[in-house]
Amino acid sequence: MSGGSTDLLARSRNADGGFGPRAGARSEPEPTAIAALALDDDDDARAWLLDHQAVDGSWSLDVGPFVNDSATALGALALGPGPERERAVDHVESTRARRVDSTDAIPIDASAIGWAWATGTSSWVEPTARALWTLRLLRPSSPSIGDAVALLRDRECRSGGWNYGNRIVLGEELPPFAETTAVALIGLRDLDDELEARGLDALRRLSRIESSGGLSLATALAAFRIHGSNEDAQRTRGALTDLVNRTGLLGDTVALGWASLASGSRLPGAEA
Amino acid sequence: MTHRFDRRTLLRGAAAGAVVGVAGGVGLRSLLREPLPWDEAAFPTPGSARVAVLRASNYGGSLETTVLDGLRAIEAEVDGANVLLKPNLVEFDPTTAINTEPRLIAATVLALRRLGAASVVIGEGPGHRRDVQDVVTRSGLASALTDVEAPFVDLNASDVRQVTLRSRYTGLGQLSVARPVLDADIVISMPKMKTHHWAEVTLSLKNLFGTLPGRVYGWPKNVLHWSGIERSILDIAGAVRPAYAIIDGIVGMEGNGPISGRPISPGVLVFADDPVAADTIGATLMGFDPDRIPYLTEAGRFLGQTDRDLIDQRGEDPEQMTTDFERPPTGASINAG
Repeated sequence: MSGGSTDLLARSRNADGGFGPRAGARSEPEPTAIAALALDDDDDARAWLLDHQAVDGSWSLDVGPFVNDSATALGALALGPGPERERAVDHVESTRARRVDSTDAIPIDASAIGWAWATGTSSWVEPTARALWTLRLLRPSSPSIGDAVALLRDRECRSGGWNYGNRIVLGEELPPFAETTAVALIGLRDLDDELEARGLDALRRLSRIESSGGLSLATALAAFRIHGSNEDAQRTRGALTDLVNRTGLLGDTVALGWASLASGSRLPGAEA
Repeated sequence: MTHRFDRRTLLRGAAAGAVVGVAGGVGLRSLLREPLPWDEAAFPTPGSARVAVLRASNYGGSLETTVLDGLRAIEAEVDGANVLLKPNLVEFDPTTAINTEPRLIAATVLALRRLGAASVVIGEGPGHRRDVQDVVTRSGLASALTDVEAPFVDLNASDVRQVTLRSRYTGLGQLSVARPVLDADIVISMPKMKTHHWAEVTLSLKNLFGTLPGRVYGWPKNVLHWSGIERSILDIAGAVRPAYAIIDGIVGMEGNGPISGRPISPGVLVFADDPVAADTIGATLMGFDPDRIPYLTEAGRFLGQTDRDLIDQRGEDPEQMTTDFERPPTGASINAG
């Protein structure tokens, strides 16, 4: 299956060496970083990342007064050792989301501050998990790792697993999703055994329900592999293979990148 | 037919406008001040609008005919046009009614073709789910679109183009809008009739959040929440300028919408050639006073028509078709949601 998603991914490369969110779209940091990881692509995707890295070490999309720098953690993982990677990790380590007060409507631990999609906005599970994955592997002594774990502990859904970022809104418990739960588990490894076990239980359930989605299955496969859950990984790999063959994951480059990465030998933090 | 070409010209030729730093945390009512928070040259005073309310008790039977009747009632001009239908597809929960019903979307595709549309594409960038493939499949939309051979475009993964805002509610200055939306001759906003815990109602204006990719704005479009949901509704609607609206009120959602509410069955479809007028009548049908929905009254100043005397009402009388939706819980900070 790695061949299928990898071939489809490789064919999505732009002439500038980068990857867009789908074939033909302009190159962007997130799909390029995932493709660089999946393809171990020194000449093109990594070169694109190096060409587009900001002085502060980040990769970003500007959104008016906001800057979406959430791909920086993935970019750091995609680069080889060197000053560019260190600058990217420095950026991840030094940035945080905006503090948000706990309210009756959205009760949270306001002291748990993770990472945001964009500068000046609040903490969310996926950018926090990306930062955690990067720091855990590239700077394992970083005190910021504790901040990321605290955020993921606070935002865990009551039934285990994670929604985008909140547990409860206006009295309603929000459900966990496969993709967000998987990404959280990709970040978490050997940091909180009980939290991870509950997350894996949720992901086993959710990955069966949300089995129509390539991104859900691909990130679930990555999470199962990183946690050494081989039986679940085998089942998920089979479902993902079938989906890639039937649908090509609708040409979504990020989903194809995750499928290739999760299925191959280059998944950071997983046994080969 | 002139409006569709005017729309493309307008969007492509948008000139740079001054940016007012008003984002975040300030009530919308405080913006009602001079100078106007929009460029008058870009937004002529709203004229009269056509709205048609049709009964439709379920999603079976001759839905295509009903949609055709509705589009004809508002004199929709789609002949030769490339149409982008923008339904509301958020996430899938089989126990409730979050999304625009796929059978209605398919029926609309067929009706638009019968009216001569050159092409019909369904485009959406779900705000709550990044795995669009899963939502499109499990919701039944993929199957429904296969039946009518219509393509779906994931706006979250589409290329974007910067649109300079001609209104100044968020202070964002520009928006990254999915290209298929800007490239279409005609955009039809096709929301579910729902309550919304931050905006009171979500109809054809709020539905336009899905034209801005989550990969740019974060999930669930978090930058827009920080910029103010009501402000964002106004700026996005001013940038996208949908020509028509079709509101799925056959089954809607009441209470803690747009995700966690309960299904309710008003049994209506609303068609309009003005999304503001559509939402005005839609809110009325839900038992809300549209004059007390701040973003809607503000939209009535420059985006479309809220004055019932200037809304040419066709089909059923909305006052006679009202279903009292349970109000959403509101009043909390929107920034973290």
